[in-house]
Amino acid sequence: MALLDVKGLGMRFGGLEANWDISFQVEAGELVGLIGPNGAGKSTLFNCIAGMHSPTVGNIFFRGQNVTGYRAYEMARLGLARTFQVYVATGDLNVLENVMVGAFMRTSSLVKARTKAEGILENMNLASLAQERVANLPVAAQKRVVMATALATDPELLLLDEVAAGLNPTEMDDMIRMIRWVHGQLHVTVMVVEHVMELVMKLSHRVLVVESGRLIAEGEPSDIVRRPEVIKAYLGERYVTEQLGEE
Amino acid sequence: MEVLKSAFDFSDFPKIDLCVAGAVGAFLLVFPALPHSGFTMATMIQFLMFSVYGMGWNTIGGYGGQVDLGKAQYVGIGAYTTAVMMIRWDVPFWVSMPIGMALAVGWSFMIGYPLFRLRGHYFAIATIATSLILKDVFESWSFVGAARGLKIPIKGEMPNFLFLQFRQDYYYYYIILAFFFIGLFYLNWFRHSRIGHQLRCIKDSEDVAQSLGIDAHWAKIKAYATATAFVAAVGSFHACYNFNIEPEDVMGLDLSVLIALMAMLGGAGSLFGPIIGAAILVPMKSFLGAWLGARAGLIGLDLIIYSTIIMAIAAFEPRGIWGLITRLRQARRN
Repeated sequence: MALLDVKGLGMRFGGLEANWDISFQVEAGELVGLIGPNGAGKSTLFNCIAGMHSPTVGNIFFRGQNVTGYRAYEMARLGLARTFQVYVATGDLNVLENVMVGAFMRTSSLVKARTKAEGILENMNLASLAQERVANLPVAAQKRVVMATALATDPELLLLDEVAAGLNPTEMDDMIRMIRWVHGQLHVTVMVVEHVMELVMKLSHRVLVVESGRLIAEGEPSDIVRRPEVIKAYLGERYVTEQLGEE
Repeated sequence: MEVLKSAFDFSDFPKIDLCVAGAVGAFLLVFPALPHSGFTMATMIQFLMFSVYGMGWNTIGGYGGQVDLGKAQYVGIGAYTTAVMMIRWDVPFWVSMPIGMALAVGWSFMIGYPLFRLRGHYFAIATIATSLILKDVFESWSFVGAARGLKIPIKGEMPNFLFLQFRQDYYYYYIILAFFFIGLFYLNWFRHSRIGHQLRCIKDSEDVAQSLGIDAHWAKIKAYATATAFVAAVGSFHACYNFNIEPEDVMGLDLSVLIALMAMLGGAGSLFGPIIGAAILVPMKSFLGAWLGARAGLIGLDLIIYSTIIMAIAAFEPRGIWGLITRLRQARRN
């Protein structure tokens, strides 16, 4: 039984079909990448899975349960954590309190939540920043805090949205190491949505490619980059015919 | 046990704050023994009442970030429950107060459920509307005395602790002071608690909150009910203290605005903010009331002052005086 099973999912906003007839599965323990050009419908697909949108058609199964139309907080309680592309921290919560909000999902005890949050911060090299306000941190540290907060909810599946945007190459390597650690040491199944091909190609066991709201390819990273339909999606039809010839 | 510990845990405040808070607390305890006028005593009781109103407002308005401008309707429910039960059925204050709180909380669920579908300004406007509608209902409902209001008769010998009827004001003072301390420690627990953290997260971003398993709608309703319980309890006290209640006094828009204004001026979302706000605005209000009473031409000046304060907070420091203090401290540390 797959951890996540998406069947014939479609999402329409008025006249716009953001997603159409998307089906795929994610097995427990996998590290899956989801790529596609701007406006391909990656975020919509992500939001449907995370319960922020209710899909127009199709079904989503999570841990064998039909979760179509579940709210975001219900999905979180079932073990699906997600991060946001743009994280705006304007409030007065500091790093420790932020992670505690995540920990409070599984416990109502202040002491337990704090202990757990402190443990996570320790593991993610954030302990020294515990009392800082998130808004005052550099982007890379903010992203680590967001990930720490999501992990505090004890997820089975972690959805990371554009986690590499705005990072320099060193920070990107740190991020890759961190995601590998989450996947390998914490045994969390990870799905990354990404523009930055480098991160997806380095990390993923399997890549899903979305274009114009449809799933156009699925396979191993090294295989995916050679597929004409994927190249076409990114670089246009002319590039395929001129550079690669007809295959 | 853990709850008690966190209610009395002020360790995250700097020492200087705790010294000031301790001194103010000691002063409040001994105040009736110091020489004072009747006017000062009345002002102090008002200050304590508004502090507790503000603490209640702070749960949803401060920590939750949902600006609520309709708290007066719950003051009214508390006050009227106590007055009606005393007058008609001779029910003591200590019984009618919890009943008033329960009725107010019940009403707050009915109001809160649809209203929290709205966000920001729309929510604030809707709270004003529901409060005014309830006031209109009470103004035309003869069972509760309609627009003339209710007058609680004297029940036997004074001091009467069952019905809260005293000749000397210091009895009232100590009762509301007890409410004040209970409120303060409750709020200190609240800000550390799960719901406190969740509300602050909701204030930041509702989408993030939902993604962390927080049912934002339900969390806001719960905080709204908590705020309501606070103001309804003080409303019951208000009925006994004044002997006389009218819809305009206990349910008017002025009262709703004052409650929110005091908390915002002092610092929404901070533990001591509402108390600081009440300490500034209540004496100002009493003074202006006494002063303007003699000058008919200046009616409305107090409203001008209040609105100026609102604009100043909005423009310069949305976190109020407490925010200003925090900012100055950070500036000095760097």
